[in-house]
Amino acid sequence: MSGQNTALLARIGFVLALCLLLAISSSAFLTTNNLLNVLRQASLVFLIASGLTLVILTAGIDLSVGANVGLSACLCAVVLKASGSILLAVVAGLSCGAVIGLANSLFIVLLAIPPFIATYGMLWIVNGITYKLMSGTTIEGFPPGFRFIGSGYWLGIPVPIYLMLGFFAAGALFARHTRHGRELFAIGANPVAARLSGIPVRARLILVYTVCGAMAGLAGLVYLARLNSAEADIGDPMLLPAVAAVLVGGTSLFGGLGGLSGTLIGAVIVTLVLNGMNLMSVSTNWQPMITSIILLGAVLTDTLVRRHAEGAAK
Amino acid sequence: MDQRGPALNAAAPLPGPLLAPLLELCAVSKQFPGVKALDKVSLEIYPGEVHMVLGQNGAGKSSLMKVLYGAYHADEGEIRLRGERVRIASPSDARRLGIAIISQEFTLVPHLNLAQNIFLGRQPVGRFIGKIDHATMHRRARELLDALGLSEDTMTPAHKLGVAQQQLVEIAKALSQNARVLVMDEPSSALSDHEVEKLFGVIRRLQSEGVAIIYISHRMAEVFQLGDRITVLRDGRRVASLLPSETTPQDLVKMMIGRSVDAGYRTRFCAEPGAALLEVRGLCAANGTKDVSLVVRAGEIVGLSGLVGSGRSELVRAIFGADTVTGGELELFGAAYRPEPAEAVRRGLALVPESRKQEGLLMIHGVADNLIAAGLKILFPRGWYRAGVARRAALALIARMKIATPNPERVVKTLSGGNQQKVVIGKWLCAQSRCFIFDEPTRGIDVGAKAEIFALIEQLVDAGSAVLMISSELPEIVALCDRSYVMREGRIVGELARDELSEANILHLAMHPESGHGEHGGHAEHVH
Amino acid sequence: MANMEGMPNMSIESLPLSAPGEANWRKMLLAIPGTSLILLLLVLWFSFQGVDFAKPSNIVNIGIQSSVLLLLALPLTFILMSEGLDLSQGAVLSLASVVLAAVLAHGGSLPLALTAAAALGLLFGAVNGVFIAYLQMPPFVVTLGTLGLAHGIALVATDGESITEIGSQLPRLYKATVLGIPFPIIVALCAYALFHYLLYHTRFGSYVSAQGGNREALHLAGVNANRHLVVVYLIGGLMVGLAALLWVGRISSGHPTAGHGMEFDALVAVLLGGTRLEKGYGTMPGTLVGVLTVGVLRNGLNLMSVAASWQVVSLGVLVLAALWVESRQGEK
Repeated sequence: MSGQNTALLARIGFVLALCLLLAISSSAFLTTNNLLNVLRQASLVFLIASGLTLVILTAGIDLSVGANVGLSACLCAVVLKASGSILLAVVAGLSCGAVIGLANSLFIVLLAIPPFIATYGMLWIVNGITYKLMSGTTIEGFPPGFRFIGSGYWLGIPVPIYLMLGFFAAGALFARHTRHGRELFAIGANPVAARLSGIPVRARLILVYTVCGAMAGLAGLVYLARLNSAEADIGDPMLLPAVAAVLVGGTSLFGGLGGLSGTLIGAVIVTLVLNGMNLMSVSTNWQPMITSIILLGAVLTDTLVRRHAEGAAK
Repeated sequence: MDQRGPALNAAAPLPGPLLAPLLELCAVSKQFPGVKALDKVSLEIYPGEVHMVLGQNGAGKSSLMKVLYGAYHADEGEIRLRGERVRIASPSDARRLGIAIISQEFTLVPHLNLAQNIFLGRQPVGRFIGKIDHATMHRRARELLDALGLSEDTMTPAHKLGVAQQQLVEIAKALSQNARVLVMDEPSSALSDHEVEKLFGVIRRLQSEGVAIIYISHRMAEVFQLGDRITVLRDGRRVASLLPSETTPQDLVKMMIGRSVDAGYRTRFCAEPGAALLEVRGLCAANGTKDVSLVVRAGEIVGLSGLVGSGRSELVRAIFGADTVTGGELELFGAAYRPEPAEAVRRGLALVPESRKQEGLLMIHGVADNLIAAGLKILFPRGWYRAGVARRAALALIARMKIATPNPERVVKTLSGGNQQKVVIGKWLCAQSRCFIFDEPTRGIDVGAKAEIFALIEQLVDAGSAVLMISSELPEIVALCDRSYVMREGRIVGELARDELSEANILHLAMHPESGHGEHGGHAEHVH
Repeated sequence: MANMEGMPNMSIESLPLSAPGEANWRKMLLAIPGTSLILLLLVLWFSFQGVDFAKPSNIVNIGIQSSVLLLLALPLTFILMSEGLDLSQGAVLSLASVVLAAVLAHGGSLPLALTAAAALGLLFGAVNGVFIAYLQMPPFVVTLGTLGLAHGIALVATDGESITEIGSQLPRLYKATVLGIPFPIIVALCAYALFHYLLYHTRFGSYVSAQGGNREALHLAGVNANRHLVVVYLIGGLMVGLAALLWVGRISSGHPTAGHGMEFDALVAVLLGGTRLEKGYGTMPGTLVGVLTVGVLRNGLNLMSVAASWQVVSLGVLVLAALWVESRQGEK
């Protein structure tokens, strides 16, 4: 635990250093508006990354979260336009996300397909359905009641930030302070030992992939409400930042180590970097490349740390 | 194959002093933390002999083998080949020197054909850029396989072969490298009687061609049937090297045993066992368990002995639900029970597995997290995890089990083997288990920790739990158990009551039935 | 054309089909009955849909359309056999085609452009391979990272715009025929012959199977397993770079996202071809059938005016169904 706290403090220090750097290089950075903007963007990344964190804690992966965001958002938009009912649209979006996650888990648990293959296949299936659903159109203009969850303010703070903090609290509570949450760590550390300790591994995997899918669905709704328009490809750029946020946050791709506090900071770090580039008028075209470099750097660190730890234990 | 073959053949059964040894180990030692795996072991292997190496688990047989093929590097001593000192730092060194190993784990590539497997990395290459000369390769593979009596097509992928055939292919691989020394680690353990006969035929033919064979075995019958000389290892030391004509199976068993349990003997055995806590009738499982019936009662320590590979671990895995059960009835605490780990744990059955690292522990997690891993439901019945409760439970177990750790958060990877094992046992105490299965509970553990673990096991049964214990250390079974089942080839072949429990009795049951009578000893020297 | 000479004189004796361990083509195709059957059924079904599916010109078309896919699927088969994965193929293809088109647009010669694209592919292959083999990082996340990297570089380099001024050299070559066989098909057949040769007729091929089948066997044979694993990814990168030639020829431009998703088609083709990420199992004829199945499905659905999005869904469903059937059979 103390090691993890140190790592967390190091990351917070990194965030502060990054902020300092940005504040020096751009006068626009340290404005309330921009800081709220950063947090609002980070909240979107966090919502996706939070569910993904649980999955990665079990030594799994969900590559379909970006596509899931796209389909959930588009389906929500279609339902909203067709029925006019916000409630129905939200339920449709969320359950769409959850069903995608559930399908992932069934392929992984029942067919024993490796998670990265199953969820990668799902990525393209979901993408295909989304494009078919939208058939090249854009759906725009949603009622203010719906838009509130993405672009509304409460007490001067954007609503998505409340969502981020709320789900961070809930997620951290689940991961750290419930039996099921603790079991996820055990599964990630050693699935065989976990099973032989009486932990129902399959049931827990189904749970986390479904939750991960639902969280991606929620992110889709928030994103839709903020953009106020739905297009088939809106989820595409979401996967890399989300994976990067989880790994930068210190959750190990090999499972069993990490948590949501790290992911929260990871989401902020990734967003700060992208925001800083924005402030310095760097073209958005640079974003995928920078995100990938962050991702590869985080995986490299994770791998080296793990190898070092294994070497020390021998 | 070798010009020296015929000349040596005559001398094979009794290598005279005139003949120079092919391979010599001179006072080879290998030390591991807490254990001396090999303690100044010397061994001379003559061309054309079958040298049997006998010993119980942990006697140093596998370490000896690993030193020979470069997996371990000896701390002291030297290895000489044809009188010259050689250095074996890697498997390729061993191969270059003509030493080949047939280990129990096969090194065939499942989807490559037999010829490719035999010549992997050394496939004959023709004139055209890197093109494998298939005709030559298959012809040579055919010759090798024919010589070994394997009629299988050389085009067959390796995964289609049975264990016995794969073993022959491994031998062919060794021969294709012109191996002069062949080390075989319990090659007959997975073979049927018929296949064993075939294997022996192959070995005798190799022998007649001057190949020296180091044959590691547990089976008394084949020691006398096949061996030209016998070396017995015990606790990493060479106890004796002798000719089959100089000894009897009974003597060999005595030499193999000859060690005492360092831990204290159990003082009070169970006079009146309580109710049957675990009862198994006609259990069959996909892992090779065949029609097993047994019962374990409250207050009893029941041994499960047998040779390595006799199916003991498989049996307990089936009981616990870790492997698929195909038939039979089970009762746990008097109620019917369908094997499934979650169900087993819930009902109070505990498994301390053979492999702590792979199956028992969350190596990257702390002591406390490991201790409560199986008891989460009991500690937190409402589903809320409370750090204080977890910590108190862990601290209590650490104190009770005397686990040497600076704090409950210490990562278990950094603990010693003994303390790791205590964590695994503690996990089941936390889960409030009442029927315990121990699979080799003292493997890789130092003497002091062994005594503590035995004391713990005694406490468990004194408190009314039942214990089923697998151990390859026969003295442990004899010292600790109220009675013991003996297994062979996936079946229970006998049960020994407390007053019948002796190492010799167990070994007699565990080896082939005829081994006890020494009938092969008499004519062993005539074999050839 | 090496393949034309190579095929007929492979007698049963000399054809060492290491991977499936069978002695001839017929048997090898029988070893992947599911996919051959799917291909047959698809061909029959499309033939009776009242579209121009069965016309000779369309058959040739399928061959041309499948050529790029084959160039990606062949090395991907090696990669999967080594228990690896390459998600970066599509993005690297896009980037390589941008590079190739850019060189042409700046008046560079075709060989120079091809060399540049190939070098770029090799570079990405080297990064993937070193990270995966020597640092033992999980292949999916490494190649996900290089996917983003290639995609990002292509975006930055082009500002998201196509490069269309590619001169006339390449379009002319792409349209060329030799003995009536279109250039892309010739390239694809040569590539197939090369990979078939590599897998079944060289030591390297046996190492590929051993990477996934039993790495210990390689160590014991004194083979440097890591170095050969890097070579597997290098070949993968090289082939993607070369595939850019056909890709640019086909779409007559270099576009930063045009190859997006090609890795999915390639993965589907290889999986349909029977290659699995376990025990080093994979076959070249299987991959060929897999590629043709994907090509026929895409072509047929195109003719029936089914949206590209549904085509992707059908590919995904097809491969999941195949895996499902296989797992059912495995249980029996």
